Amino acid sequence: MGLLPALLVLGLVTLGPALYLVVTSLTPLTPVNPATAFDFSDPLGNYKAILATGEFWRSVWVQVELSVVTVVTQVAAGLGLALLLDRPSRFLEVLRTGFLVPMVLPPIVVAIIWKVLYTPDISPLHHLLAWLGMPIHSLITNPATAIWAIAAADTWEWFPFTMLMLLAALQMVPQEPLEAARIDGANAVQLFWHVRLPYIRPTLVVTVLFRLIDSIKAFPLIYVLTDGGPGGATQVTNYYAFEQTFNFSYWGYGSAVATLMVAGVFVLSVAVTRLGGGGETVDE
Amino acid sequence: MVMSTRRIRRRQVLASAAGGAGLLMLPGKAPAQGGAKKLAGVTLNVSCWSSSYPQFLADYIPEFEKATGAKVNYETPSFPIYNQRMDLELSTKSDAHDVINVTFIYIGRWIGAGWVVPLTDYINDPRKTPADWDVGDFLPGSTAAFKDRQGRLCAIPWIADVQMAGASRYDLIQQAGMKLPDTFDEMATMLKAVNRKDGIPGFAAENHYGWTFIPFLQGFGGNVFRNAPTDLTPVLDSPEAVAAADFFSNMLREYGPDGVLSYTYDQVVEGLKQGRINYSTNNETFLVQMAGAGSKVAKTCALSLMPGGPKGRFPNVAGHGWGIPVGSRNKDAAWEFITWATSKQLFQRMFRDHGYSSVTRRSLIDEPEFRQKLQINGIDVAQLYLDTLTLGAKGYTIYRTVPPYPPIDHEIDVAIQRIISKQQSAKESMARLQRNALTQLKRAGVKL
Amino acid sequence: MSRRLPFSEGAAVLILAVVLAPALWLLQMSFRHNADIMSTRLTAPLTLENYTALWTGQFPGSFVNSLLASSMSTAFSLVLGVPAAYALARWRFRGERHIALWILASRMAPPIAFTIPFFLAFSWAGLMDTVTGLAIIYVTFNLALVIWSMRGFFAAVPRSLEEAAWIDGCGVWSAFVRIVLPLAAPGLAATGILCFILSWNDFFYALILTRTQAMTAPVAIVNFMQYAGWEWGKIAAAGVLVMLPVLAFTFFVRGYLVSGLMAGGVKE
Repeated sequence: MGLLPALLVLGLVTLGPALYLVVTSLTPLTPVNPATAFDFSDPLGNYKAILATGEFWRSVWVQVELSVVTVVTQVAAGLGLALLLDRPSRFLEVLRTGFLVPMVLPPIVVAIIWKVLYTPDISPLHHLLAWLGMPIHSLITNPATAIWAIAAADTWEWFPFTMLMLLAALQMVPQEPLEAARIDGANAVQLFWHVRLPYIRPTLVVTVLFRLIDSIKAFPLIYVLTDGGPGGATQVTNYYAFEQTFNFSYWGYGSAVATLMVAGVFVLSVAVTRLGGGGETVDE
Repeated sequence: MVMSTRRIRRRQVLASAAGGAGLLMLPGKAPAQGGAKKLAGVTLNVSCWSSSYPQFLADYIPEFEKATGAKVNYETPSFPIYNQRMDLELSTKSDAHDVINVTFIYIGRWIGAGWVVPLTDYINDPRKTPADWDVGDFLPGSTAAFKDRQGRLCAIPWIADVQMAGASRYDLIQQAGMKLPDTFDEMATMLKAVNRKDGIPGFAAENHYGWTFIPFLQGFGGNVFRNAPTDLTPVLDSPEAVAAADFFSNMLREYGPDGVLSYTYDQVVEGLKQGRINYSTNNETFLVQMAGAGSKVAKTCALSLMPGGPKGRFPNVAGHGWGIPVGSRNKDAAWEFITWATSKQLFQRMFRDHGYSSVTRRSLIDEPEFRQKLQINGIDVAQLYLDTLTLGAKGYTIYRTVPPYPPIDHEIDVAIQRIISKQQSAKESMARLQRNALTQLKRAGVKL
Repeated sequence: MSRRLPFSEGAAVLILAVVLAPALWLLQMSFRHNADIMSTRLTAPLTLENYTALWTGQFPGSFVNSLLASSMSTAFSLVLGVPAAYALARWRFRGERHIALWILASRMAPPIAFTIPFFLAFSWAGLMDTVTGLAIIYVTFNLALVIWSMRGFFAAVPRSLEEAAWIDGCGVWSAFVRIVLPLAAPGLAATGILCFILSWNDFFYALILTRTQAMTAPVAIVNFMQYAGWEWGKIAAAGVLVMLPVLAFTFFVRGYLVSGLMAGGVKE
């Protein structure tokens, strides 16, 4: 009963648009020609065009590269830090708040910070490297390095998330198995691999899942740092859809790309959850 | 911004227009009677991309506000951002803006789809347009582009944007025993000789390659379409096009500054003014800033015509103009603004105060002061400007006003980026460009 | 108990310094003259001119817009979501797993999937470029957050307290307001603040759905970057101003961030 208004609104703002998105994807809608809004003569036309377009597949590949690198790095960095901070220390608890900063900053500010770091004229990074005798060229205008530059910025932004999640999980690992293993003479690595890891595994799966889903939404960094360039080297699928829809006004086509993205993410999530241990998730 | 737009009733405007019209057209003069100002209570939202004229205009807007009582919200986003947002906005016939810039490459789209108001009624109405504003004073070449299919003028041009070439450190070129190049071959030789002299990269062009590359494309004998506007088959993978792309990309890659791919027009102009870039094929309105305020290279700069290739010289000539969106709720006030912003007096003042010289009024170009002030280090830039206008009148820039050109413009940007960054060879990249152009045309519903 | 290792504390401090360095760099940049920024000298003179220059122009207005849109959206979401969260916490019913899946699915969709239909709907309904319009679209992510986050907090309140009130003749919702809410107040505050932060940080929706009237602070900065050319001092100052409210609020909710972040991904 108290649930009903919320469900109605939620339905209105999520299901309604979702339906509209799919319907639009079946038309060649472009605002220059209003008649296209109801042109269902070739409903799968957009989808056929997408699957035949090299740019789309390239964007999927770029997305895969970016997602894999960022998720792996973020989880590794987060895990490392979590292990470091998993000690009963007031000092470390206070310090933990400082680590949250990159994650809570507005993404656009993160983008500006890294734009500064990647602009050779004003970047302390470039100046430092030049002073040390190892000058480097602009990273974001070099197609070989542009995507890694974005990945680095993205990792800086989101590692606090993985760190928090994994730290919370580590802190819930019961003491007895740890003590028992220590008494048996296990070293730090074995303690981690055989005792801690099984306990934090569900959280690990959820963390990977969340970061994977969120990595597909990456936008401000690309918008400010590279605009999808150079030459499409950082054009992920999300950005491709954005360009097609809002730069060229191909609404129907863009809707189809967006629909494919949602479907893709859904399939991916199911796959990751299955692989990670069959749908187990953490209790709050 | 959270603000209220109070609408002014049409009758009120017309009534007071009869009394105050003439006075308002002279910037700086207050209305005769100390009474109600003509546009009191009206808020005008004006937007244009950040070329030099729009940036200079910001200095004069407070006078307009004072004289008319209107409040003007003025913004000048960068070229790609402005176009993208305005295209999106006009497609919804929104009332968010009252005066907008009709960008050259969007003319076919915005005017063609009827998203801006035809201005003939305004121009012919003596109550709305002062007699000395004189629509006939505008260069016929610049107004022709802004006419719709019925021949009605839909925007008032504020610029004839012409491409020329210039160097910030002509002294270095002279030291190498050379002049400013007249052909592409000479350009290559010169750049090879002066690149990195004094630590300065030899060449830069803004990364809107759909604009900066085309003179090279056409100079080599290539083109965008086979025969615009009737035959829109793209010919971007012809051997001439590939040769042009290869040449242009090499120039930028070899002689350009680090990160040249990301250099927007304002970065290039800033680089020229600070003497951090030497030679650039660029818009006249930007090149003349080398001799203006804030420039470190006023004594050593030089300008010339855009160099030509084996098949001739093809400097782009474009125009941008002020228009009124169909959704605007302040059309009469918008027209006030437009006539003020394109009045002879305002252009004159802008020329005197800021050196703005890409003017569209014949009377101004004919003034002796114009020619005289545009002598830069002994070069008659006014003549270069006129010569380029004459060349442009031949009509080879027609490809730009074809309605489906904007996405192809973007594809050209990306194609050249790929070549410069060595992701693909010129041949591969132009082949891909050709395929993408065909896809875009098909998506736009063009029958080939 | 583990031994205290000064090594790990030292390492943590070092790592934190490296992590925070980029943000701190932006901060110090906002206090320099533009001409000095290119030299990256840390000894260049300090100035407040970037901040004073921001005071005029569009920036203050955009800040107000951000404030309004974020507050309105948080209010909508709390008003709708809190009763729903309570209902979910107290009563089992059949569709629960489906609802959970649906909420998770809405989190999966990239913003562009929502932006296209909303753009068209808003143009038709006259909500384009309005603060209200933004508040509505922010509900797409805030409502789910509120429901899941508050459900956890309500579940932690022992039923016995309400049951005692019901026995005394108190109505269900009356008991909710008088007993449960006050107990869950810290969670409520934290959730509200999280909603506010997420709305404040939004960039994509504001970029597409606003023009001049309802432009929010993040979009104003980007606008600024594009036409203020290379005035890095002002850009840095704008960035600092936009991040301050978020940093302040985060400080207050730092304890609740994990549960908030996990909202929508958990099931009983």
